[in-house]
Amino acid sequence: MAQVMMKDLNKKYDEVHAVKDVNLHIRDKEFVVLVGPSGCGKSTTLRMVAGLEEITAGEITIGDRVVNDLPPKDRDIAMVFQNYALYPHMTVYDNMAFGLKMRKFPKPEIAKRVGEAAEILGIQELLKRKPRQLSGGQRQRVAVGRAIVRHPQVFLFDEPLSNLDAKLRVQMRVELKRLHERLETTAIYVTHDQVEAMTLGDRVVVMKDGWIQQVGEPLELYGKPSNRFVAGFIGSPSMNFVEVTVADANGALWADTPGFRVKVPPACAGRLGPYRGQRVTLGIRPEDLRVATGSDAADHSFDTVVEVVEPLGSEILLDLKAGPNVIVARVDPTVRVKHSDKMRLALHPERVHFFDNKTELAI
Amino acid sequence: MGRARDIRLAYLLLAPALLLLVTALAYPIGWEVWTSFTNLSPLNDHPTAFVGLDNYRHLVADPGFWRAAAITVGYAAATSAVKLALGLGFALLLARPFRGRALVFLAIFLPWAYPASVSVIGWYWTLSPPIPTAYSVFMGNMKYSVDGLLGGGAWAFVSVTLFNIWRGSSFIGVFLLAGINAVPPELFECAALESKSAWRRFWLVTVPLLRPFLALAVFLALTTAFADLSNVWMLTAGRIVYPVLGTHAYWLAIHGGQFGPASALSLALVPFLLAVLFLLFRMFDPPERERA
Repeated sequence: MAQVMMKDLNKKYDEVHAVKDVNLHIRDKEFVVLVGPSGCGKSTTLRMVAGLEEITAGEITIGDRVVNDLPPKDRDIAMVFQNYALYPHMTVYDNMAFGLKMRKFPKPEIAKRVGEAAEILGIQELLKRKPRQLSGGQRQRVAVGRAIVRHPQVFLFDEPLSNLDAKLRVQMRVELKRLHERLETTAIYVTHDQVEAMTLGDRVVVMKDGWIQQVGEPLELYGKPSNRFVAGFIGSPSMNFVEVTVADANGALWADTPGFRVKVPPACAGRLGPYRGQRVTLGIRPEDLRVATGSDAADHSFDTVVEVVEPLGSEILLDLKAGPNVIVARVDPTVRVKHSDKMRLALHPERVHFFDNKTELAI
Repeated sequence: MGRARDIRLAYLLLAPALLLLVTALAYPIGWEVWTSFTNLSPLNDHPTAFVGLDNYRHLVADPGFWRAAAITVGYAAATSAVKLALGLGFALLLARPFRGRALVFLAIFLPWAYPASVSVIGWYWTLSPPIPTAYSVFMGNMKYSVDGLLGGGAWAFVSVTLFNIWRGSSFIGVFLLAGINAVPPELFECAALESKSAWRRFWLVTVPLLRPFLALAVFLALTTAFADLSNVWMLTAGRIVYPVLGTHAYWLAIHGGQFGPASALSLALVPFLLAVLFLLFRMFDPPERERA
């Protein structure tokens, strides 16, 4: 069983408290992604699992062993680094075989494992080359291959795709997902790219300032963000946030602000009761906005002025202004608008989010 | 296309320094090479005659020459090896942060940073105290025992060696530390993840990664060993016991008046040294193979 458990994990560098009370249970064969902005503590957490950073407080368990005091080489893990970390003076074959050679594996066994990994990754022809003769994508594959041959309990990925160009990144992402499905090994993957997180992770852990903000399956984080940060981090383009006052009118609650006034959906109305008269933040994703049609009630639509039109081919991104509020909407590619056109938008009432202004938690 | 232009530019930029070096050294070296082929001497009654390779032939036949050559080369090799080992140890020690690292760094860096002309006096007074004290008695006894054991002048020789190693290992330590810092840390981290034995990790990963820096470090260690030797040595009396080519030549020329043979002696090891340095330079900067 290759589960990984982090209990009350903390990391302090002198003054900086980089990782704060991280508690995480990663199940056997699960692919978990740690995602967050730079400095959120995700890499530090990963490196503590690897043994490359000292643990200030807390416990890490890999399999059924507490590994706090075990050196990296004894933890039965394999790591893929952002900069590939291939030994420049060795051939691809030797790079991949190095870990096995150090563990005194017999030569035929090494050859077998390296051959298998090379085949999975499609790098059989590269085995005699040196790293400086390889392209970025090839080097990354060799780095992954080096991790695979070790047959570790856990794979650790530290932003492995960050150094690749956009197209290659998309391609490698798919390959990594296929690889995980084939190898079925527990994996912890660190990235700052929320698209990678959403597409690769069985579960995603969003981190900020050393704290875990939310843990859940990708769609859960997308549809039910637990706080404003997660709501704004997941999803591209980001969720729109509008500061509104919860007003009582006509027997219902309204979210009200100059240029923008919508009825609070019945599903949220109960929870928003205590906020009568106060300011809260309303969140609505660009994809949950559409051009209002005649059948859309006035309760859920509002007037805007078009500022910028970004045609993407499959859709159009509109930057609009509703009064003083900036709103981004994703609309059908057939919509014909131009700068300074007036447009009435409607929103999906079930997809509106509200956040407390003080705690930033979802209401 | 661009590369040929870059090479030309490189030579152009080097030209002023090269020109300076050549003009400053060309005459003395040229004179010495010429003299080595003559029997120039202020004691001669006859005009200087060209003797071809006679001086060199005499050298090759002289066992004293071979002895001095062996000692010179042996000394240079031994001190370089010690300096390299110590320097590498210092560099590895300083590679990772720890409490008090700044102080240790200072302690390791000062011997080289401090002007040699001043620190050598410090050493001299430490090893041959000018003022009689209890300490000086102890040092005096050390000198007598070493000289008694190994011959007159051995103490001076040991002093020179220690001084050379003290300074050299300091420089090489800092130099190799720069080398270690130039290597991406992930490479060392990856090695830590993969290999079970620190010793094997050192030989199979650290040393190959540092190879260019190590080669240059040996290059510099050897050249300073040869240079240091003649300078400091001439001020001591060790030449009697452990004659070294530089001082042998000095004796021959200044005290013996034999400029011809002395020049030949001085130049004798130059081809050997050049060959070694060339090899080391190739290790430091091997020609890059083309990208696939």
